[in-house]
Amino acid sequence: MSDDGLPNDAEGIRLMIHALVDGELDAAAALAVERRIAADPALAAEHARIVALQAAVGRLPRPDVSDAFRARIAALGATGTAHSAQDEALEPQWGKPSTRPDQIEADQVHATARRGTRPSQMRTLPRAHRFGSFDWRALAASIVVTAVLASGATQWMMFDSASDGFAAAVASGHRRSLLAASPIDIVSSDRHTVKPWLDARIGVSPPAPDLAQDGYALIGGRVEVIADRPVPALVYRHREHLITLVAEPQQGGGTAAPDDLSSGGFSLVHWSDGAFSYWAISDMERPELDDFVARFRKAAV
Amino acid sequence: MLSEKALAERFGEVVLPHLGDALVLARWLTGNAADAEDVVQEACVKAHAGIARYAGGNARAWLLTIVRNTAYTWMSRNRSRGIMAVGDLGDLDEMAAAHGPSLLDENGPEASLIARADTAALEAAIAALPQPFRETLVLRDINGLTYREISAMLGVAMGTVMSRLARARSLLMSELGSAP
Repeated sequence: MSDDGLPNDAEGIRLMIHALVDGELDAAAALAVERRIAADPALAAEHARIVALQAAVGRLPRPDVSDAFRARIAALGATGTAHSAQDEALEPQWGKPSTRPDQIEADQVHATARRGTRPSQMRTLPRAHRFGSFDWRALAASIVVTAVLASGATQWMMFDSASDGFAAAVASGHRRSLLAASPIDIVSSDRHTVKPWLDARIGVSPPAPDLAQDGYALIGGRVEVIADRPVPALVYRHREHLITLVAEPQQGGGTAAPDDLSSGGFSLVHWSDGAFSYWAISDMERPELDDFVARFRKAAV
Repeated sequence: MLSEKALAERFGEVVLPHLGDALVLARWLTGNAADAEDVVQEACVKAHAGIARYAGGNARAWLLTIVRNTAYTWMSRNRSRGIMAVGDLGDLDEMAAAHGPSLLDENGPEASLIARADTAALEAAIAALPQPFRETLVLRDINGLTYREISAMLGVAMGTVMSRLARARSLLMSELGSAP
């Protein structure tokens, strides 16, 4: 057998193929597995089956997060007083009988559920109006805005275009990604891995040109949730800087030249090509980000 | 100590963006969408109570861990034990290792057949998976967690995550491949 460092038993190589499809392998291991696959039709067939299955599972409809449900959960966050009696909440509880239900503070929402009314039945209650007295979007927006203000990092709410909220969310997502353990969900420099991953996850993927030769290496992608919708985001690296490129699918949208929305420490550029509306954000200087944007637009055509 | 306002903000940033993921996980663990909302709501109450302990890192994995634990307590409270029978997990993993298709199935279904599988057949096949296999598959292929995150969440070795995932997928493939 070949001396490529891979397991030589059938089960081991099978697990490696799954790991390849899942984007769990580093470049060297991925290359070795790909070579094995190329050399063995049985492995190639298994690989194709796994890819097909993963795509099929990824296409399954997901439950809707109804506005009413989201509003109820948002209201939990707004009620202030955090309960403290539920330290067991984070411990695994395999098959353990009920923890005293009365331990859970009976806030109004919960009391309703306990009486047997399903949340789904509560959907028939009058919904919060979009601009009514209780509006979860306003609440969520105020949370973002307050967080941004409190951090002192950015003041995105100063934009006055219709896309303010979106820009703020893009900025928020980028900042969060820098704080997270990993800024990316799918680690791969191979656009042939990143695009299918995004496709399988949310059914859409933007152009993901490899700009490594230009000094902008594609290092992966993630899914951002903005305005209640999942949108694909690519992550490029330029020296020590990360660039998040959020690509919001457009429907029949026009094109728009790059527009500078930079503020308070981050550079943010927005443009549209008809198929996607792009938001590039980074802590690079504006001219450098412009250079990235120019190269991306050229390569993405 | 964080102020209540800061905690409320953190709840908004950590929990609210992942409600869709939380619902879909709860839906597959409990088996239906209505129960899923109950479970996620209860999980969010717990998440809110525990938000001060959220120490950064992957917020989605953090919330999903709470959702998963809540789902099992919820089911043990609301369902008879018969429905909840999960068996001994150790046995199950051994069984998977012993009976798993350790050899590649040369006659496995064509990828195109799997790709054409209709939604109902696929959902039924996932629902029929033994629970440890199902939850691993859902966490990976629907929630998009990494092996490492799943391993931490389930408290099992990464190798166990990999073999459960491979077993789950192979069961789904043969189920879809044998469908009329």
